[in-house]
Amino acid sequence: MSKAKTTSRLKSMIKSTNRHFFRQLGRIFKYGAIGFGRNIWLSITATIVASLTLILLLATVVAGAVLNSTADAMRQKIDISVFFEPGTSKSDLASMASTLKQNDNVKSVEYSTSEEEFEKLKQEYVTKDDQNMLNTIDIVGEEVFIKKQPAAMRIKVYDTDNLDGIKTIVNTDEEFQENISKDKDKAPTYDTNSSAIATISSWANIATKGGGALSILFIIISTLVIFNTIRMAIYSRSEEIYMEKLVGADNSFIRGPFLVEAMISGIAAGIIAGTIGLISYNALAPNLKAYEISVDAVNEFLADPKNIVLLFIVLIGTGIIITLISARLAIKKYLKKF
Amino acid sequence: MILFDHVTKSYPRDKHPALDNVSFHIEANEFVFLVGKSGAGKSTLIKMITKEEIPDDGKIIIGGIDLDYVKKRHIPHYRRRIGVVFQDFKLLPTRTVYENVAFALEIAGMSNREIERTVPKVLDLVELTDVAYKFPDNISGGQRQRTSIARAVARQPKILIADEPTGNLDVETGRGILDLLQKINDYGTTVLVTTHDANAVNHLKKRVITLRDGKMVSDQKDHGIYRLDGDNDGISLPQPGHLHPETYLYKDSRVNNAGKENPPRKRKLIQ
Repeated sequence: MSKAKTTSRLKSMIKSTNRHFFRQLGRIFKYGAIGFGRNIWLSITATIVASLTLILLLATVVAGAVLNSTADAMRQKIDISVFFEPGTSKSDLASMASTLKQNDNVKSVEYSTSEEEFEKLKQEYVTKDDQNMLNTIDIVGEEVFIKKQPAAMRIKVYDTDNLDGIKTIVNTDEEFQENISKDKDKAPTYDTNSSAIATISSWANIATKGGGALSILFIIISTLVIFNTIRMAIYSRSEEIYMEKLVGADNSFIRGPFLVEAMISGIAAGIIAGTIGLISYNALAPNLKAYEISVDAVNEFLADPKNIVLLFIVLIGTGIIITLISARLAIKKYLKKF
Repeated sequence: MILFDHVTKSYPRDKHPALDNVSFHIEANEFVFLVGKSGAGKSTLIKMITKEEIPDDGKIIIGGIDLDYVKKRHIPHYRRRIGVVFQDFKLLPTRTVYENVAFALEIAGMSNREIERTVPKVLDLVELTDVAYKFPDNISGGQRQRTSIARAVARQPKILIADEPTGNLDVETGRGILDLLQKINDYGTTVLVTTHDANAVNHLKKRVITLRDGKMVSDQKDHGIYRLDGDNDGISLPQPGHLHPETYLYKDSRVNNAGKENPPRKRKLIQ
């Protein structure tokens, strides 16, 4: 009897109050916005922490892109030089180049005869305005220089860590052995440059793999920081939550304004982080260029206004997601407690 | 209206139960004081009524609702049926007096037009019209308690629970609050007030239920003069406490605690 009576009374109560979804949603947004303004110091703190979090994330992503771009640029500059006896014919060079190209790691092969190499050298003297050398060439005669100038082959590879195949071809192929420079000073350069190549390779690897891992680590750390900030903000208002529960507010009605406040913080943080990020990048990028750090990929991305809009959308979206998750987790404890 | 039937509640770390076999019945339109020193079990009893705590044993029926059958999802709806006033007011500090009162109506899904119509009337009832747009921090303790009462009665609940409503107020302001509670009771709301303030009890001369160490030691329908107990911060009785075992079966709501017929019920608290 008592159970039936209680159930019927509770049902009629629920029926009379559950019909106003949009009205209540409007109130949640209204009180969220009002709460953001009236708890302005807490709101500012949460927004600053969220902004710093997003700036950190943005910096990690940009740094990763810049490192990758720099590593790629450096890889482009790496080539293996093989020198041949002066006078090696163009057809022999072409034949050896095609042998090399059969190796999967070979990206491109450029070659030049003794004459072409000498021309390059001469151009360098002209560029440097090295009158002594130019005079010597005139006096001694170009032919003498050409006779001593080795032919050269410059090989670009995909993977600088894996040069064994190329070494084998250069060291064992008959045609190479026949033509390769006997001068010890003109030995293939991969032996002397291997440590440099390895260093660049490892930096490139760190940029690729480490950049990803670092980004994830920063996301975790920054989410924890923003979570704790919002938790502290909600902790200071836990009495409010208790009171609201005692007056008979639904969990969604209590939680809603807090989530709206967090969302406003997230939106503001996204805009702040994007603006500070762009200003800082524009200030720093020219200096980075001076250190031969490649910012081309980022510059290319930012050249399109659509991408800037996209950047802000992603930052605001990330800001909203991080603050919303943090606020929801933080408030859950108090909704359960009371 | 409020029925406690052999209710017992213990907390794991406490030696003695917070409430020990407590039984009483408060009729509709009654005004009852629940007295006892700190730790007597008053707050536990209030928490049972608001369903913050559940009894280990016994039955509680509030306004025809058996709390055993109120599930977690029903609690907000159930709580909207009772008004609660606290010693420390528990107002929303970032909302004005008006908004604090309106909040009680908003959670129930009332329309803005209804709220705009109701809140000024409630504020008029508790004499807070002048401070309607002030924040709780900018008004006096008495005004805060009036705000708390306004919020509690805005939905015109059948039951009003006031937990030490005068505890943080001076004697004069406290009397004003008690007179306001009396006014609300005159309009037909059942009022249960917890206190350890003898002045409050003596001021209104109503039925008094006394708790001591979790046990109900007295249910005084014939009011005497209470005085402060020198040994503790509670209240001693004018005569040795006596328990009415049949108290909770007390049914006659037409007769008040003094044995006189209740005055006819006035119209609605908020028209």
